[in-house]
Amino acid sequence: MIQKLVNILLVEDDEVDVMNVKRAFTKNNIKNELFVAGNGVEALDMLRSSIIPLPRIIILDINMPKMNGIEFLKIIREDENLKNISVFVMTTSNEDSDKINAYNLNVAGYILKPLSFEKFINSVATLKNFWSLCEM
Amino acid sequence: MTESAQKCQEELSALKKEYEDFVYIVSHDIKTPMRAIANIATWIEDDLGPDINIDILNNFSLLKNRVARLENMLNALLELSRINRTEMEEYEVNIPKLVKECMATLDNKTNVKFHENYNLYNENCITLGKKLNKVIFNLLDNAVRFHDKQIKNVFIDISENETEYQIKISDDGPGIAEEVRQKIFSIFYTVNSKDVLDSTGAGLTISSKIVAMVGGAIQYTPSVNNGSIFQINWPKIISVKN
Repeated sequence: MIQKLVNILLVEDDEVDVMNVKRAFTKNNIKNELFVAGNGVEALDMLRSSIIPLPRIIILDINMPKMNGIEFLKIIREDENLKNISVFVMTTSNEDSDKINAYNLNVAGYILKPLSFEKFINSVATLKNFWSLCEM
Repeated sequence: MTESAQKCQEELSALKKEYEDFVYIVSHDIKTPMRAIANIATWIEDDLGPDINIDILNNFSLLKNRVARLENMLNALLELSRINRTEMEEYEVNIPKLVKECMATLDNKTNVKFHENYNLYNENCITLGKKLNKVIFNLLDNAVRFHDKQIKNVFIDISENETEYQIKISDDGPGIAEEVRQKIFSIFYTVNSKDVLDSTGAGLTISSKIVAMVGGAIQYTPSVNNGSIFQINWPKIISVKN
């Protein structure tokens, strides 16, 4: 049986953080296709204009220019076509209000970006375990 | 209150708010490039492959260690700036149980002997539980972390009077030299070089700020066995001082 890999959309404005996710994918031997948007506005455009196949998973930063992660989440949760996408927040913000806002908008997980790349590889491995279930 | 006194009060509150916001924003925005330094160092190390020169390897680990220190310092600054903004719920705590929880969460308890002594009419009290936990945890953590003996004795004595709890945390460790005693509550101050014992130097600063906020007092005295005694007066009725 050929496994159907889910598409993933990463919404992240920092170049190094994008490279970090890509590296962590390679390290974990993750072959899923990864699309990148630099902020919430760009991500919405990509999702609504069918530039990319509809992803099942979104990895979302919170502090971004133009439209931040929480604003983006609110919009997709009200959109019939997008509201069922699993969203993982990945951020440096340890602020309670951000966590509460995110969970109120039904996120599948809230990941604090760790300082070390080794720990980040482990976080991504955990994510991989989750979306592997979506692929079955 | 006179009009000018009230105006001063308002300005003071506004300044405090501005300071807290400043520290918070700065700490957060600094974290992204800081994490980038740590990450890119790891990538380069990784890309150099397995035959990497030992000196280079050591320098990479130094670089990452110092960035980690920077992160600890930033986290401590963040925590300080948020002391009277977060975890401000009063709820019922059982004092001996809270102490037990603090002990359980200590990193390294090898060869540590805890001696608890409670002299309380009522073990339960309604207080800022998270804050009390933080203070007791920090003092226990210091007592253990900086202890220099094979067997580490740590003493916890808690008693009460009508208005406050008297919490005494002491040890038979190295104590603190007289000439540096007035510095121990300063942010990032460590008695030993950070290369000897990697610590951030924020625990006592955070603890003393919490104690001041609840209207209590914290005091250091040397013990007869050369160890340290930290005495805290924690009021039963808390009126938060901003």
